[in-house]
Amino acid sequence: MTFASWLTLLATVAWTAAVVAWSRRVARRARRDSGRRFFRHPTAAAGLAVLVLLATLALCAPLVAPVLPSTQLNITALQNRPPSWQYPLGTDLYSRDVWSRLVYGARVSLGVGTLGMLVAVSLGGMVGATAGYFRGWVDGVLMRFVDVGLSVPRIFLVLAAIAVWERLGVGPLILLLGLTGWFATSRIVRAEVLTLRERPFTDAARSLGAGPWRVIARHIVPNAAAPLIVSAALGIGSMLLLETGLSFLGVGIQPPQPSWGNMIADGRDQLTVAPWISLFPGLAIALVVMALNAVGDALRDALDPRDGT
Amino acid sequence: MNAPSWFPRVSVVMALGILSATACSRRGGCSGEYCGTFVIAGTGEVTTLLPPVSDASIDRDVFDQIFLRLADLAPGGGTIGDAGFVPQLAHSWEWTDPLTLVFHLDPRARWQDGPEVTAADVVFTFDAYTDSAIASGDRTALSHIVSVTTPDSLTAVFRFRDRYPEMFFDAVFHMRILPAHLLANVPRGTWQTAEFGRAPVGDGPYRFVRWTQGQTLELTADSTFFLGRPHLRRVIWRFASDLNTAITQVVAGEADAVEVLITPPNIKRAQDAGHLTLYPYDGATYTFLEFNFRANGDASRPHPIFADADVRRALVLATDRPSMLQSVFAGHAKIPPGPMPQQWKWLWVPELTVPPYDTAQAAQLLAARGWRDTNRDGVRDRGGKKLSFHLMVPSSSAVRQQYALLLQAQLKAVGVEVLIDQMERAAMDERVQSGGFDAVLESWNTDPTPTASVPGIWGTGGGSNYGHYASPTFDRQVAAATSATTPEAAKAAWIAAFGTLAHDAPGIMLFSVDNIAAVDSRVADVRIRPDSWWALLWTWRIPPGKLNERDRVGG
Amino acid sequence: MLPWLLRRAAAGIAIVFAVVTLTFAAVHLAPGKPFLPPEGRPANPAAIERLKTAFGLDQPLPVQYVRYLAALAHGELGESFSRRRPVAEMIGNALPNTVLLAGTALLLDFALGIAIGVFQAARVRRRADVALTNLTLFFYSLPTFWLGLVLLLVFAQWLHWFPVGGPTDPVLHDSLPLLGRLLDRLRHLALPALTLGLVGAGGTARFQRAALLEALGQDYVRTARAKGLPERAVLVRHALRDALLPVISLLGLALPFLLTGAVLVETVFSWPGLGKLAADAISTRDYPVVLGTTLLVSTAVVIGSLVADVITAAADPRIRLSA
Repeated sequence: MTFASWLTLLATVAWTAAVVAWSRRVARRARRDSGRRFFRHPTAAAGLAVLVLLATLALCAPLVAPVLPSTQLNITALQNRPPSWQYPLGTDLYSRDVWSRLVYGARVSLGVGTLGMLVAVSLGGMVGATAGYFRGWVDGVLMRFVDVGLSVPRIFLVLAAIAVWERLGVGPLILLLGLTGWFATSRIVRAEVLTLRERPFTDAARSLGAGPWRVIARHIVPNAAAPLIVSAALGIGSMLLLETGLSFLGVGIQPPQPSWGNMIADGRDQLTVAPWISLFPGLAIALVVMALNAVGDALRDALDPRDGT
Repeated sequence: MNAPSWFPRVSVVMALGILSATACSRRGGCSGEYCGTFVIAGTGEVTTLLPPVSDASIDRDVFDQIFLRLADLAPGGGTIGDAGFVPQLAHSWEWTDPLTLVFHLDPRARWQDGPEVTAADVVFTFDAYTDSAIASGDRTALSHIVSVTTPDSLTAVFRFRDRYPEMFFDAVFHMRILPAHLLANVPRGTWQTAEFGRAPVGDGPYRFVRWTQGQTLELTADSTFFLGRPHLRRVIWRFASDLNTAITQVVAGEADAVEVLITPPNIKRAQDAGHLTLYPYDGATYTFLEFNFRANGDASRPHPIFADADVRRALVLATDRPSMLQSVFAGHAKIPPGPMPQQWKWLWVPELTVPPYDTAQAAQLLAARGWRDTNRDGVRDRGGKKLSFHLMVPSSSAVRQQYALLLQAQLKAVGVEVLIDQMERAAMDERVQSGGFDAVLESWNTDPTPTASVPGIWGTGGGSNYGHYASPTFDRQVAAATSATTPEAAKAAWIAAFGTLAHDAPGIMLFSVDNIAAVDSRVADVRIRPDSWWALLWTWRIPPGKLNERDRVGG
Repeated sequence: MLPWLLRRAAAGIAIVFAVVTLTFAAVHLAPGKPFLPPEGRPANPAAIERLKTAFGLDQPLPVQYVRYLAALAHGELGESFSRRRPVAEMIGNALPNTVLLAGTALLLDFALGIAIGVFQAARVRRRADVALTNLTLFFYSLPTFWLGLVLLLVFAQWLHWFPVGGPTDPVLHDSLPLLGRLLDRLRHLALPALTLGLVGAGGTARFQRAALLEALGQDYVRTARAKGLPERAVLVRHALRDALLPVISLLGLALPFLLTGAVLVETVFSWPGLGKLAADAISTRDYPVVLGTTLLVSTAVVIGSLVADVITAAADPRIRLSA
């Protein structure tokens, strides 16, 4: 890695620290105390920092990555090199800089994960709330459908999709992840709504003449938001993980475009001789999912209309 | 790693304690020359153990232990004439006229369930292998043989249709003699799923014991085997899902041998393990980039890029094969000057050379054919079409994926865009066979002779010629090679044919691997035949002083 | 209760039927056909035709579908294309391995997960809670097979504490005494079960903690607290009961995770279970095996979710069984 890229990396870290400090100050000064509650969470700031850092790195990839992710530095002399000052995360079997791939891979993986999650959580939330609130035949039909979805191993769903598309672009891949990923969310939301709708405050709202959609919007959704947010935070993670699995089947993101998933797959056979190739993207996934969860947790506490503790 | 570390350690200590306790109580077990348990880490699982209906490589490995041929290739033996062969079921043979070959069976040969092996079994076997209901892959190779007859129970007479150099090879190599008394009543249409294939009875050095699905296949030595008692008492195949897992088992000491290592990291792992000895032998595979001469998905039209011989030649010139070879194999492979694996040693002659790496000439050729980068996007174009093609590569092969990426980078340097389609093998095979591809990285696992695979892959109308290369000159030269009566004439004709191929550039020959087997160092007398890795296993042995717990157990 | 059960059972059969139909369509539509030639060997079209006829693949798809259902009605799962033996026999061989692995992993998952979750909820935001939150999060955040690879690398290949794969020692197992065989099994089981169990426990613990905290914030818990009940009693008697609900529904969801999420873990550890069987069958296009395993897994999932519903209902009298 060149001196310039080390400098930009340093700048990115400084920028991240500044952003987190700034948002903390804003939160402290705000009149509503949800911001303060957010930062009261011990890991919230750290989680936020990780997310800001990785998002910035992904956006500024060309500045912090010394080379393009597909560049093969020297196919005979620089294969499977361990981490060093010049190649901070080592090089892979194809003599590509793992750090550059990781940074560019962040674009793909974070993008796919986030968008896939959005599709999944909004679908799952909608179906779950509808089923849980209306119960009866609506619930019956929707949940049986969810049962079918959950009963088919996801790998078969993916296979079926590949049968239709054969070559999956990034767009269809996101849709595929989203459309096969909402079943569990809808169940969780439904379970939550089932208990919520029996609560005194919903009964009260109903007896005051509120229509079903109004009850859902005003009383159920805000109260069910907590599990939905937890589910969304975990959702991005499971999307990232599924992308990894798909890359293993050779149907995920196509080479030479890097994703954290196909980076792990690339390094699998080298695990004993060059563990860093798979190790770092794996840790990156773990780090992102952890950060998402920390932030999701803090958000849950911050958004909870009743005081959590 | 720190907090719960006591748990596995305790369990290990306990396990070791129990194991050593049992070891003590059983010490004694098997001892002497004929002990030994040999565990082979195999890639994939056995399909069926009835020879004519399977040609999977792991199945063939097991056939070698259970069934015998009439005669077998000697290590390093040639396929022309009969000088390169050693007796197996037949203790001798003679030519009564140029078209008649007579085998005399060894009277000591027995089926593992008791009866003698007779000439009737040979007739039955020939009939089965050539039966369309069984559809053996070896039917074409046996089509030169008119009939097999039996003047008496120990004599089998082969009558040929015509004279050619590999008559003897065809008579003995393809067929493993089958027990007529066990198979005659099994309807031919049901052989594919016959019970026999799950519990075979043969006449070879090893008997079938059991096949535990998804895990192991176990054989035990036939101590009465007429060619000599096998030294290794038990042979066990452990099925691994991929080569990497197989090597891991061998390195960890949970298996004794793996037949190939292929990549430098694997070789290093085996060397570093300390308890393994590496045995190099000639490889049987070669790998190449195959151009599709017809349009992707439409065999009626020529391919817009690859139908042009100069473009193909330019692409050959633009690939730096020595660097790629160094990068992927670090010297453990060779660049073939033709479609040939290392096991065809006699064809690796100085007359055949690998074209040089010359990007200047490649660029010149492409420009001369009208491919120029008019819009300065780094990719050449002609008439508004980019010089860009899809390269298919199976997701199961790490080495070929590596080559695909290297090729992509190198061709980019001369303004050619390569889009890599990494595909699952089932899907890829279907696409290749239906012509739905531009270029594909193919690996071919050959017989000991070029006779079948070369015309099959490169000959006009060949069964595996998915790229539709067609050259009457090449076909003529191949025909001359397969019908030549002397080894010298055959060799000259093959060299001429490969020269034509190099000139026409229907593909880019990339590598022929050195095979290196890793075998536990306690095993002695290890000899490996390039065409059939474990064929000589029954002559390997473990010296009594080196027997370990596994070797002695249950004796 | 009984009519409800019957209705659910009928619905369950319909689900399984739908899943089988869907899978049947999916495997037949997927690119790639069965009976691949061995890698790098010439295809043998005549033999493939023979095999297709032998296995009925020469018939039109609807005919094949009806035949498959008819056979299914007689309890026949067909013969495997790639192993040439009854699918039922193959599943019968693989199932005990998967049940052993999934069962152990599930036990680890829930025992560890619920214990950690409750432990954390009882001392929320103290140092132990924060540490455990991060730890469970870390495990939950890992790709399962990646954790498997790392555990395999460290504990089997570097430290040699555990074997590198398989359910038992292929040579010594049969000659060991009973206790030795048990230990041999445990040693082989440890890493794959730990891989699945740790990742699962990470999720379960997080869920349990969140659910408990949610419950602790409810009015009735505040009331209980206001009545002066000790914190422990509040937690266990009131909050936990409520908070187990969503966790129980998680149990029904854990089953498919363990059965199919095990695919890659079984592959990493060469574990001859259903997941590996299904994965191999998919890659070789062994239709009857793919269908057989799907049938089994979906049936298990349907029963699992039914059981989860019954338990949920039993635990929460506010929910009537009326679906």
